Amino acid sequence: MNQPAQILDRGYRKYEGQRSGVAGAMRSVVKHTVRSILGIGRKGRHKVFPVIVIAIAFIPSVAFLAISILLKDFGDELRPEYWEFFGFSFAAGLLFTALVAPEAIVRDRRDGMYALYLSTPLTRMTYIGAKVIAVFGSLSIIVCGPALLAFLGYTFQGLGPDGVGNWFWVGARVVAAGLAIAAVYTAVSLGASSLTDRRAFASVAVILLMFGLSIATTVMVDSADMSENLRVLDPLGTPLELPARFFGDRTIDYSDVSTPMVVLGSAAWLAAGAAAIVARYRRLAAV
Amino acid sequence: MSVITTAGLTMQFGAHRALDALDVEVAHGVTGLVGANGAGKTTLMSILLGLRHASAGSASVLGLDPISEGARLRALVGYGPERNVLPEDMPASDFVKHFAEVRGMPRDEARGRASDALWLVGLGEERFRALGTMSTGQRQRVKLAQAIAADPSLVFLDEPTDGLDPVQRDEMLTLIRQISNEYGIDVLLSSHLLEEVERICDNVVALDAGRLVAHGSLADLVGNDEGVTVELVEVDDRPDATAIVLARLRERGLDVRPHDRSAAFDVVAADADLVADAVRDAVADAGARIGKVVRRRRRLEDLFQGAGR
Repeated sequence: MNQPAQILDRGYRKYEGQRSGVAGAMRSVVKHTVRSILGIGRKGRHKVFPVIVIAIAFIPSVAFLAISILLKDFGDELRPEYWEFFGFSFAAGLLFTALVAPEAIVRDRRDGMYALYLSTPLTRMTYIGAKVIAVFGSLSIIVCGPALLAFLGYTFQGLGPDGVGNWFWVGARVVAAGLAIAAVYTAVSLGASSLTDRRAFASVAVILLMFGLSIATTVMVDSADMSENLRVLDPLGTPLELPARFFGDRTIDYSDVSTPMVVLGSAAWLAAGAAAIVARYRRLAAV
Repeated sequence: MSVITTAGLTMQFGAHRALDALDVEVAHGVTGLVGANGAGKTTLMSILLGLRHASAGSASVLGLDPISEGARLRALVGYGPERNVLPEDMPASDFVKHFAEVRGMPRDEARGRASDALWLVGLGEERFRALGTMSTGQRQRVKLAQAIAADPSLVFLDEPTDGLDPVQRDEMLTLIRQISNEYGIDVLLSSHLLEEVERICDNVVALDAGRLVAHGSLADLVGNDEGVTVELVEVDDRPDATAIVLARLRERGLDVRPHDRSAAFDVVAADADLVADAVRDAVADAGARIGKVVRRRRRLEDLFQGAGR
């Protein structure tokens, strides 16, 4: 005879199991933040920017792969180098850092989540660490994804690097270059976003910082004939030069800037962004 | 063991002393942290949560140091903030579940507990609604559910009845009493409404401008009858009768506290018989007429008035 149906109302009760501690708290915040900035589980309007950014990031790679599949004799001289794919997705990187990434921290301060987070096992620094991991992880997909897609696509077409060792070496450089760009953009974006409690202001601040300084350094160097090394003041373009250097090449704009200067400039922007975040959050009252 | 202990706890913000050498021991149960706005309630809570370093003194919560063992402590406590701003587009169940996870619950457990906590606070049917569509009363309940979902030993609630109408306030206070009685969760409830604290709290910590006015069990602090409240009938041909009665009583060294806009006053003294005799004589001397005399119970308000004198 079948068992009769039962309603099992457990109700509120004591919990005797394990608690995951700080690591679990950070994991939960990372997951929640990634979902939030990508608009997952939120209304349609919150998905618009992430979808646009992802589309802009991947369209060039998909287009080149499609062309190389359709036109088998797509010449090597026309096929972009792996590092050049990072340049194609700079607009996606800019849009992500300006319009999507600020969501990660500005929103928490406005809607009271920040105070609640600090009443949990999280501290200011573990909280911001979780936010950095979430933004860096999401941005890495936007930045690395297109170049990795091209790398894997060319490999499957027999156009990839020769030899297993060389394949891994090229792949590692593609990933490392993408992670380096994502790290600098994360620091700049969160650094600027930590200075204001309004997301729109944060977006404007990031655009002014990244796009404004990019234009300003171009004017200073190209029009005012100032030192080529001033190009490293550009937080948008300088990290994008890293992939070229990783592959022993250099772009036209940075052709007169040494590799140590490019690395130093990128590291300085990384440090400046991190310092802004830490300075802001060390002083920010929770309750 | 006390739930909360402080010794010489002091918080200085520049020239302003927010907390002044507090020595407090809080026992189990519901404890009211009372005081006017700016009394130091929120500052004390933030120190007890380990979010601020005190300028001097020490604190212990659940036997843990809020600074050196802050993460461990905060895994055992819940917190309902005063601010009524919550993520607008987030369903209540997701919000409560997320914070249960952040407080250490495994994902499936957090989901179940979020649902249970929302049912407990009376939002079971509403749990999938976005927080932005909820009323102030519902949002206060969501904050309470969030604070208790991870089964804390102690919950800090900062002005949990703020913005509620009288009916909602009664319901919220009943809920708070319930989570302490039925689930053994200790509660530190911050409020500037003394009547709330008198209604549901076992213990009281009363602050005034950062100084400790009183602390201990509510029964000890306000439990004794103390004097009488007298209401005189206003008589047309004796317009100064009330003033004369007050003067006579003061001449006998009694603590007389006139009410704001009536011919009523409190006479505060430990010996009710003495007060009754004194009131009778003073009324007779002044030719006044008594409308009502009731035995007066000491109230939390008196602690603050006593401290202010």
